[in-house]
Amino acid sequence: MTDYSAFRHLTIGQYLPYGSMVHRLDPRAKIVMFSLLVAAVTFANSYTASVILLVVLLGVVRLSRTPLRFALQGLRPALPWIAVFALMQLLFYRNPYGPKACSTIWNWGFIDITTCSIRQIGLMILRLLEFMILISLLTLTTRTTELTHGLERLLSPLKRLRFPAHELALVFAIALRFAPTLAGELERIMKAQASRGADFGEGGRLGFIQRTRNLLPLLVPLFISALRRAEDLALAMEARGYTGGRGRTSYLQLRALPRDYLALALVGAFCVAILFSTLDVLDGFIFSAVSAWAREVFFHIVH
Amino acid sequence: MTPVLRVEELHHTYLRGTPFEAVSLRGVDMEVHQGEIVSIIGPTGSGKSTLIQHFNGLIRPQKGKVFVLGQDLRDPDLDIKGLRRQVGMIFQTPEQQLFEQYVGDDVAFGPRNFGLGRPEVRQRVKKAMETVGLGFEEFKDRMTFSLSGGEMRKVAIAGVLALEPRILIFDEPTCGLDPATASELLSKIRELRDEEEVTIILVSHDMESVAQLADRIYVILQGQSILEGTPRQIFSQAGLLRGYGLDAPQVTQVMHGLRGRGAPVRVDLLSVSEAEEEIVRCFDLAERPASQCHDRL
Repeated sequence: MTDYSAFRHLTIGQYLPYGSMVHRLDPRAKIVMFSLLVAAVTFANSYTASVILLVVLLGVVRLSRTPLRFALQGLRPALPWIAVFALMQLLFYRNPYGPKACSTIWNWGFIDITTCSIRQIGLMILRLLEFMILISLLTLTTRTTELTHGLERLLSPLKRLRFPAHELALVFAIALRFAPTLAGELERIMKAQASRGADFGEGGRLGFIQRTRNLLPLLVPLFISALRRAEDLALAMEARGYTGGRGRTSYLQLRALPRDYLALALVGAFCVAILFSTLDVLDGFIFSAVSAWAREVFFHIVH
Repeated sequence: MTPVLRVEELHHTYLRGTPFEAVSLRGVDMEVHQGEIVSIIGPTGSGKSTLIQHFNGLIRPQKGKVFVLGQDLRDPDLDIKGLRRQVGMIFQTPEQQLFEQYVGDDVAFGPRNFGLGRPEVRQRVKKAMETVGLGFEEFKDRMTFSLSGGEMRKVAIAGVLALEPRILIFDEPTCGLDPATASELLSKIRELRDEEEVTIILVSHDMESVAQLADRIYVILQGQSILEGTPRQIFSQAGLLRGYGLDAPQVTQVMHGLRGRGAPVRVDLLSVSEAEEEIVRCFDLAERPASQCHDRL
């Protein structure tokens, strides 16, 4: 282990100040649109719908001037999981549409690989890709202060039900604000302990225990400094008269503009269209191409 | 004589290949010889910390060369742990890296990591603690986190000294210490060099301590080494330093001020006693009774 740069691994959720149209939208509108699109991605169950969603999302990425590489960065650590899920689908997917809907490609005991499982895997990969892009889009184009204020405002009707919207938003904001600080601190402590000959991530036969023990020289100083920071922050807030959310106004005045309503209406209409129409014009085509390819592959593997 | 540490045309960029790219070093050259005290000065953000982290392999050279104790830091098969045993690094506010419950255990962390036997560890811990002025018997079983800030810093420094490194790197060692503790620490650093021939690299903003301690100084500006020389050579160019956002020691500034007002004094002086002698010589003060000065005020 020679790379101690903790920031390198903390790029999800970093704001990229490109100042595009997407950046300038009202955060409340963005949060609502984000939720709508998440719903659309979750429930879109055809290739056609998924592909349309993907194309639209890539278009939005383009519009936000964010490099695509950045929008997809979260994908790499997720790859092993995707592989595991794909394998599970491949082996254990039971076709709910009856035997007529799909044909068997390969059968061995209880393992029944059908064109349907292949179809499902394709959909899953598309879906994960879209989730990744959505999350990146929201966090790369919206400042955390905007996000938290937007969230607080959206949740504020719930205050009547004694829901702690302000406190929740504050906790969220502090957590986000201190994530890079603590990452920097961790990096510093790692370097200091490595200079004293500490090894991280290595362990002998009792690997797990040894590895956990090896983390103590990092965790103890990190916790001490986090607690000290928490205390300092609480003091600093109280010294400046913070008494909680009641009657508190905000310097960040969120004002929805026509363009926000327009964007919201467009995204809303799009999501409704995706959800309630049975879009499968392209499915037959994509499906037969995919299953033909899968057959070919299996044929090669088996023989 | 071959230097114990040599840096050639060193470049470093943080977060290379991302939109957060930040160039930190753009061509640093330096050389440090056995038993020297070399100081690195430069304004905040000039790349000093990045530079020194190359010296024990916390950062590997991206472009350029770093040789430490005859080993090439570009070599991927380098025994980095072995190198760290010989190159001790004391970061800014090192007391924040303490984690053991008892002082003695924390100081022993380094030697234990390098697999030394119990008697050897004990003997090194004892020696290191006594070097920094913490009595072994008195402090070894004290609770680390009940100590004062100054004592904790001493424990942290002892933790690195216990490795008995040949090169010691200090990043702002006196920052945040009271004056008495700070000057005690500086004289310990000098003793380490004088008595044990440890090579010292000192990064500091405190020009007084640099002037007192350093044999040679490197000035780093915007990631480049731009000046090199003895403290006298460097600090006699006070105007130049000020342009870089740096200062000469206060007493040197006084001499520059006098020179600026037309007094033909030397400006390459670093200590109060040197300056006093020079002022007495230049103004012929020894000839006059002190009362005359008061009259004129």
